[in-house]
Amino acid sequence: MTIVTGKAEARRRLQSGKPGVLRKIWEHRADYTYVLPAIAVMLIVIAYPIYYTIELSFFKTPPGLQLRDKTFIGIDNYTAILTSEVFWRVTWNTLIWTLGSTLIAFVLGFATALALHREFVGRGVLRAILIIPWVISAVAASYIWKWIYHSDFGIIGAVLVGLGLADRPPNFIDSVSTVLPSLIVVNIWREFPFAMIMMMAGLQTVPEQLLRAAQVDGASAWQRFWHVTFPHLRNVSTVTILLLAVANFNSFIIPWIMTGGGPSNASHIWITHIYELAFGRQRWGVASAYSVLLFLTLMTLGYFYVRALSGNERQEGSA
Amino acid sequence: MSTTAEAAPRGLSRRRMRVDGWRWSGRIFLAFMLLYTAVPMIWMLITSIKSGFAAMQFPPQWWPDEPTLASYEKLLDPQNSVGQDFLRFFWNSLFVSTVTTILSVIVAVPAAYAFSRFSFPGRNFLFFAVLLRNMFPAVIFLVPLFILMRLLGLMNTHGSLILTYLTFGLPLAIWLLKGFYDNIPVQLEQAARIDGATRFQAFILIVMPLSAPGIIATAIYSFIGAWNEYIYAYTFLTKNDQLTLPVGIQRFFSENTTDFPGLMAASFMMSVPVVVLFLVLQRYFVRALTEGAVKH
Repeated sequence: MTIVTGKAEARRRLQSGKPGVLRKIWEHRADYTYVLPAIAVMLIVIAYPIYYTIELSFFKTPPGLQLRDKTFIGIDNYTAILTSEVFWRVTWNTLIWTLGSTLIAFVLGFATALALHREFVGRGVLRAILIIPWVISAVAASYIWKWIYHSDFGIIGAVLVGLGLADRPPNFIDSVSTVLPSLIVVNIWREFPFAMIMMMAGLQTVPEQLLRAAQVDGASAWQRFWHVTFPHLRNVSTVTILLLAVANFNSFIIPWIMTGGGPSNASHIWITHIYELAFGRQRWGVASAYSVLLFLTLMTLGYFYVRALSGNERQEGSA
Repeated sequence: MSTTAEAAPRGLSRRRMRVDGWRWSGRIFLAFMLLYTAVPMIWMLITSIKSGFAAMQFPPQWWPDEPTLASYEKLLDPQNSVGQDFLRFFWNSLFVSTVTTILSVIVAVPAAYAFSRFSFPGRNFLFFAVLLRNMFPAVIFLVPLFILMRLLGLMNTHGSLILTYLTFGLPLAIWLLKGFYDNIPVQLEQAARIDGATRFQAFILIVMPLSAPGIIATAIYSFIGAWNEYIYAYTFLTKNDQLTLPVGIQRFFSENTTDFPGLMAASFMMSVPVVVLFLVLQRYFVRALTEGAVKH
């Protein structure tokens, strides 16, 4: 799977009986010192919070977060969430947001990568410009687009009116029906470059000879793409889509800054909703229970994520 | 190829037309993507050189009648209270991002090296744990971290941000660096060790210089990540003189909601360091990102 030193290989072969795990750990004790700092930091800042979130989700904690005064209330926080109407609304929004952003960003990024694959004058410059939205801060991006969508002085509204497509500038982010698609456009603006970079790298691994051979055999451009290029990119596509999906599911800044979840929850997704429950309304127990649900959802997704990231070569045969 | 061309000239010309069709749709698509990408950024720049009055016009002035750098002067003027705040936020961001970057590299390099080279029990488990963390959103950790920071007395300090950024940047940093170490032949180290170097010497003298591109890339990632981070800074910092740029700008413009030229100028200046960093070092940046996902 990975490169292992010759010595370690030999050591492993020597122990081919059934060595005690403890003995094995002891023999490798020096190796752990390299990982120790990383593990230590992560234990403090990750393991402890996870434990604490689970604990808080079964308690009612006073708004000031006085931990001594919390009272055990069983699964009341969970039932409160699952029976609330907002929950289903927010879940639906999250689904649309995650799927919409991920798929469109991936398709646009992939198409851009294909269009940029051939050498032409100015290709490097064009690529650099296309990547910039991904580098700049999401806070800056949110403000830029908020200004672009502005209901009185926004540039899109002005163009639409100028072309005679609208009588007056539309309300992009103050209207329940258009707010989520408008925010998805912003998100894709920031994210398609990521898909583009990944797919450009993937395209470089497609063997040139195979494409040539297919061309000589009379395959059309589309056939070459579908039967040669695309199968080669299956793994990198899986990884890219998963990374995008996780990032989108977890996004916070764009909806939070641009709309704060409004109007009337139309742009609240899970993360912004949890944040508001915790730090806006001080409902720590409910927010923690939400986080646990989120955690479970992500664990399910995580199974596929880890498999895709670690099993690139293994998948080749099975799928 | 040449025989095909002689035998079937008609078929070839049709094929060439086909190819040209694809190429043209590719060009049109690229032009569209360029518009989509660039127009918001250009509009930001144009707005930032307008006066507050000129920005609030309908229909908008596509190019300002009287371009002015007033917004930039205001933001960069240490005498002005706005400028004081902005420069302090800028400095805070720079400080937090730089310290985070240095610490990330120090912690991630040995860990990535170990994950790449050694096969100790639990190695895979630990590596997956590291990767898994990357999936979980900040919000899950916010409440407990809020409590933890209060407990450690780190609320309202840059230490709280550096500690969290370090932790949450590590998984990606380790993953990126491991990709680089995987591609450095073990034989180089083995040769050095046969010549009498210790493992540590081999690491410092052979592996470190070879992995310099990976380290540079990891450093840029950490820096950009820390520079752009918003949610922890928004939660852990409340004192005005501690804020980093993203939160500072947000706080400032929730008080001056109509100063769009100022907001655009601030957004632009907040983007300059990371965009310049990226443009100068984009070779490393792009390579590192794809090293792990694409096996050569």
